[in-house]
Amino acid sequence: MWTIAAAGLLVLAAGVAPVAAHHGWSSYDSTREITLTGTIKEAGYEHPHGHVRLEVPGKVWSVVLAPPTRMEHRGLPASKLRVGAKATVVGYPHRSTEDEMRAERITIDGATVELR
Amino acid sequence: MTQAGPLGWLGWLETTTAATAMRQSLWLYPIVEILHIIGFVVLVGSAAMFDLRLLGRSRQLPVTGMERHLLTWARASLLLIVPTGGLMFVAHATEFAGNPAFRLKLVLLVAAALNAAAFHLRPFRRVAEWDQGARAPLAARCAAGISLALWAGVIACGRLLAYF
Repeated sequence: MWTIAAAGLLVLAAGVAPVAAHHGWSSYDSTREITLTGTIKEAGYEHPHGHVRLEVPGKVWSVVLAPPTRMEHRGLPASKLRVGAKATVVGYPHRSTEDEMRAERITIDGATVELR
Repeated sequence: MTQAGPLGWLGWLETTTAATAMRQSLWLYPIVEILHIIGFVVLVGSAAMFDLRLLGRSRQLPVTGMERHLLTWARASLLLIVPTGGLMFVAHATEFAGNPAFRLKLVLLVAAALNAAAFHLRPFRRVAEWDQGARAPLAARCAAGISLALWAGVIACGRLLAYF
């Protein structure tokens, strides 16, 4: 019985598929700071991290922000993270996902909010 | 953030009221996380203390008494852990389902449950023979060691979810 159970577990574990990594700052290349200015095409004021799709000339970036609770606390409520707004983000590109970056800070309507 | 992926039931889960509330309500997500942590602290803490007793610590304490006290709380803690875990899962079901750390965590959870069941079905049946002041049989000590390793693995995978 136990060998069968163990074999079953191994099969389950072997079925694990790799998936794009996320979240931890270590997934982003902090040696390559980039600044993007563009228009918010899509905004998610969501847990565990807020995000925007930011359209810059020739590209749309997926920008990972901070947890909503932190953004709210630092003066960036959901109402400011609106579609159509101009935003500038400073952050680091993802090591493997080409159009993803994690923002250290974001500037909307002249107000800069630190996200880390 | 949801990844593009096959829809179906995982995608549907993310559209439920509970999932939307988890992502968008300001404090729900952290509150659920905190309750999940409180729950598994009780579960894994109880299991670890019981395991250490089986491994030979504090032999003056009766195993049956510790089992009744600790494992009752361990089972009760599931009432906190499972619903909160489910809420966190539905918020990002597609992403979690494809996350290797999450998959391994589920495998380890199943293994821990099987291990606990095996302990209760086999060595624990004859606990009267080694209840107090005696060395637990090898099967019981093995189950205890395996339990400690599996729960450490479950916690590690749970934390590492955010990094994959």
